[in-house]
Amino acid sequence: MNYRVPGKGRVVADAPVTFTFDGKIYRGLAGDTVASALLANGVHLMGRSFKYHRPRGPVAAGSEEPNALVGTRRDRGRFEPNTRATVQEIWDGLETTSQNNYPSLKWDIGAVNDAAYMLFSAGFYYKTFMWPRNFWHKVYEPFIRAAAGLGISPTEEDPDSYASRYLHCDVLIVGAGPAGLAAARAAGADGLRVVLLDENAEAGGTLLSEPQAEIDGKPAWDWLATELSVLKALGVRIMTRTTAIGYYHQNMIGMVEKLTDHLAELPADTPRERMWRVRAKRVVLAQGAMEKPLVFHGNDRPGVMLAGAAQTFLNRYGVLVGRKPVVVTSHDSAWYAAFDMADAGARVQAIVDTRETVRDDLMVEAKRRDIRVKLGHTVTATKGRLRVTSLRVNPVRDGKLGFGAMIPCDAVLMSGGWTPSLHLFSHTKGSLAWDEDLTTFLPKTTPEDCVIAGASRGLWGIEAALADGAEMGRATAQALGRKPNAQSYTVTADRTGSGDSQRELPTDLNPAAAKAFVDYQNDVTAKDLRLAVREGMRSIEHVKRYTTNGMATDQGKMSNINGLNIAADALGKSQPDVGLTTFRPPYTPTSFGAFAGYHRGTHFEVTRKTQIDSWAEENGAVFEPVGQWRRAWYFPQPGESMDEAVRRECVATRASLGIFDASTLGKIEIVGPDAVEFMNRAYTNPWTKLAPGRCRYGLLLGDDGFIRDDGVIGRLSADRFHVTTTTGGAARVLNMMEDYLQTEWPDLNVWLTSTTEQWATVAINGPNAAKLLKPLVEGVEIGDDTFPHMSCTECTVAGMQARLFRVSFTGEIGFEVNVPAPMGRKLWETLWEAGQQFDVCAYGTETMHVLRAEKGYIIVGQDTDGTVTPKDAGLAWAIGKKKPDFIGKRGLERPDLVAERRRHLVGLLTDDGSKLEEGAQIVFDPAQEVPMKMVGHVTSSYHSDAVGQPIALALVEGGQQRMGETVHIPTPDRTIAAKITSTVFLDPENSRLKI
Amino acid sequence: MNAPTSFGTSTIIAESPVVRISRAAPCARLSLRARGDLAPLGSALGLALPTKVGQRAAVGDLEACCLGPDEWMLHAPEGSAEEIRSACAHVYEAHPHSLVDVSGREVTLVIDGPRAADLLTLGMARDPDSIAVGEGRRTLVDGVTVILWRDAVDLFYLDVWNSFAPHLMQLFETGCRELAAETLESKGHTRLDEDRQTVISEAVIASPHAEELRGWKSRLARAGIGWA
Repeated sequence: MNYRVPGKGRVVADAPVTFTFDGKIYRGLAGDTVASALLANGVHLMGRSFKYHRPRGPVAAGSEEPNALVGTRRDRGRFEPNTRATVQEIWDGLETTSQNNYPSLKWDIGAVNDAAYMLFSAGFYYKTFMWPRNFWHKVYEPFIRAAAGLGISPTEEDPDSYASRYLHCDVLIVGAGPAGLAAARAAGADGLRVVLLDENAEAGGTLLSEPQAEIDGKPAWDWLATELSVLKALGVRIMTRTTAIGYYHQNMIGMVEKLTDHLAELPADTPRERMWRVRAKRVVLAQGAMEKPLVFHGNDRPGVMLAGAAQTFLNRYGVLVGRKPVVVTSHDSAWYAAFDMADAGARVQAIVDTRETVRDDLMVEAKRRDIRVKLGHTVTATKGRLRVTSLRVNPVRDGKLGFGAMIPCDAVLMSGGWTPSLHLFSHTKGSLAWDEDLTTFLPKTTPEDCVIAGASRGLWGIEAALADGAEMGRATAQALGRKPNAQSYTVTADRTGSGDSQRELPTDLNPAAAKAFVDYQNDVTAKDLRLAVREGMRSIEHVKRYTTNGMATDQGKMSNINGLNIAADALGKSQPDVGLTTFRPPYTPTSFGAFAGYHRGTHFEVTRKTQIDSWAEENGAVFEPVGQWRRAWYFPQPGESMDEAVRRECVATRASLGIFDASTLGKIEIVGPDAVEFMNRAYTNPWTKLAPGRCRYGLLLGDDGFIRDDGVIGRLSADRFHVTTTTGGAARVLNMMEDYLQTEWPDLNVWLTSTTEQWATVAINGPNAAKLLKPLVEGVEIGDDTFPHMSCTECTVAGMQARLFRVSFTGEIGFEVNVPAPMGRKLWETLWEAGQQFDVCAYGTETMHVLRAEKGYIIVGQDTDGTVTPKDAGLAWAIGKKKPDFIGKRGLERPDLVAERRRHLVGLLTDDGSKLEEGAQIVFDPAQEVPMKMVGHVTSSYHSDAVGQPIALALVEGGQQRMGETVHIPTPDRTIAAKITSTVFLDPENSRLKI
Repeated sequence: MNAPTSFGTSTIIAESPVVRISRAAPCARLSLRARGDLAPLGSALGLALPTKVGQRAAVGDLEACCLGPDEWMLHAPEGSAEEIRSACAHVYEAHPHSLVDVSGREVTLVIDGPRAADLLTLGMARDPDSIAVGEGRRTLVDGVTVILWRDAVDLFYLDVWNSFAPHLMQLFETGCRELAAETLESKGHTRLDEDRQTVISEAVIASPHAEELRGWKSRLARAGIGWA
């Protein structure tokens, strides 16, 4: 069957396109959507509904379509479920499939739900699956998940790319219908940057469906073509296939542009979708209005669709949705659909209008076409299994229904009036006002620099929309201080009209058995809404959640107002008293890819690498992420496990020499006459007496008194400190310091500069560290007298400008050499070569952790967790007792922070020589009843060859007073006993630090 | 390999008919912080420090961009950081300030070509048109802090810390291909570009430091490239 009307529509008659639906090959024309092409082939049945698995066809022609959701597939990985057939354009080779059916679309086993509808009434999840409670996870949820749901999630990785861009403009106009076009013409003047967008494949909006109109004497489509070229010449940027998905604060609009879904061949280097983040000085919303369905029993049968949609399919796509349609309406607009269908060769069976009287001119036009008219009628049923075959209508007189009569038909075109599209306006937190005449909400005020034009504020007709668009465009340009283009429009053959608003239509059949759908996608009927009210729901928000009305992927574009009208009636209240549910972004379903943009795969997140990272990679390092950095974790030799590699690295470093890339340590240069005062106030330690050329371990607290960061700090001169921070804390510490400097201590003459990336840092540790370094250093003599432990200086190392620190995080003789970052790898390679005579070992972060733990040096963030004080960590010595103030000083005096039984950092040695799990909980009495009282946890735990058995650090309640006592660590299979020790497991006298 | 020091000998990172991304030659970079009377520091540097955020001033090979009310980034020929530091050290006692050598901290990428500004919009929330030719800004691109120097309508210098550079370069490589694949006309860019020129030429005239600005050609020459 071919339903194409020659000469009609904007499709290209001599450009056939072949695609498949459920494996069957169909032909359409260039310019068709999947829906229009299938309808041209006489196919209305395109899917099954969500809950009852009822057969469904398209009810709309645009992005609001709730029913005709299909899977689309291009090739491997390029499959998308739930694509609206009314939006997806066809191209040669497109594969589409129906959803939510088994074994086939025409015979679906899930439709048994439809017969058992009484079980699936409003709130059925809550009632049916309440008990027994443990059935939820095992029975109910799997059942619901299997039975419900729409399309199937793709399982293959998406090979497409996605993009994002920012855009700044003076005027952003959402919707390129008559109002948007006129607004663009008015504002596209005087140098204003104007962007006009539309979600459709082409601009024009209503004009695409109403070619009969004449604007300024020109047929609508001719006018449109001219107008678009004028706008382009004016510099207006016109973006089609672009949806404004959300309106955010201060005129930030999110838009998604679909770039390739309509193309048969994918162009190179072109993303599938692009997210635009637009900052517009002014916004004009011209999104138009959406038609409401009428609510009657069987209003979801394939072939039943909105009258405006039928008009669009006919005029824009050249497709008759039926040859024997019947029109059912409460609004004038559907009469024109009947006329257009009749003029295109359909035999319109009748126009059924719920109103008692309609405009004379409409009656005349109907009579001229020999169309039967039934005024004052209601619709009570439809028939037909997979396609509507007849409609039952009854006269209504004084509230009473007369006998029902069957009208045979192959399509039902319905209209319950129109709802202004207020989605984006509502995103702005704009307020709405109920309009009793139009029985709908209209926009009132918005806090954004935004106006709303045309049908989206309740105006009807092309001329009215053009005039309003021009006015809003003019006002917008003037608000920006520019001179607008003055423009006025005369429209003939305009189709203005009005109508009544309806609840569910009156019926003489059993209303309890009526399937009069309000929300097609979620299968919510009028009786579900009334039931919700009977069961105590009062707010529209509760009614929505109880029934799921408006909660499907179409966000209630068609169902919200019908739902509200019915709920308000059931509650006996007016609509504004019941309220409207909130519209939330995105306006239409949006792919995850569009949100992710470029941030996937290797570009998912910044991965910072040091200058020495490349050497580590070339030498087989295994890496670990530390904050944004990736760091060399350990350097396994062929065949080595991690444990083996780390033990080898530890032993080699303590035996002779190890080098370590410490470049990621945060570095801050603190300069100014008040540098020392700043240090005194920021860190717990006293700094005044630290001589230039010396270093000190510094401890940084929050104002709550808990440890935030630590690091070795060198005083380079009286006014210049070189601060190091933890790797992860670098940015946080600098921000905190700047915060204090700018808000608390603006009197201090001192400045902070991040030098983390100015320097590449190599730590050299081991008994032979000084021997390695000595011949390479110029400017300072390496020796205990000339350059003792905790010294720093500026010098040259291997000919490179350097800052040299003698510090140790291992307990061995240690140095940290800083050279300008670009020299980092050269320094490393020089040390590596020179170190060969000492069997130098490159070690990673894991070995660093072990070596420091053997000496009891803490790692902030591992051995502390934001609730550990200096005293808890055994670092009370780092507090300058005589200082008048420092960050955290008052916090440390809080009663809970000076309490005796706080958890202290201690060492643990297990009785059986086993290694504890980091994070394991500790108890004093393993014989107590479960749940036991937990008194601490293991923070660090390692094998230690230097100590001769595994070591652990732990936070234990009152630990410092429990030296030598035994605690217990319950594990899944046994309980381990461990003795509390000092945190220093190795060389407590620090004798190994001496050269 | 990520390290900017070993991208190989070529300075070109990505190139297409519409935009090119390359690496500028190394230079000396110093972060200067000071407040109060700036004249003595200006004398020491031989350059009047601009005082409006975003403004730049240059004398010879030394260029300063004002990044904050008390903050400037100085660019000078490679190896001259110590010389500048000691020149300023002479006035330190009377006019305390902070001058920190950050020559090794960041690298500079050169973005030029007709769609240079559009390339930045892939990751920059700021309107490129709000940075006039001859001005500079510290801002974020794809979440990464950068300093942008705009030397011509279609020429930007972008300073970024070493470890963040590969991330941005990856984005720019993608963007370079993406922009090249686009057809300009259908996107209606023409007008926007014209607008941009208008705005910028006005700004150049208005800038009190316009004449001091080093020409973009000399910077390109420093980068070792020329735009045909």
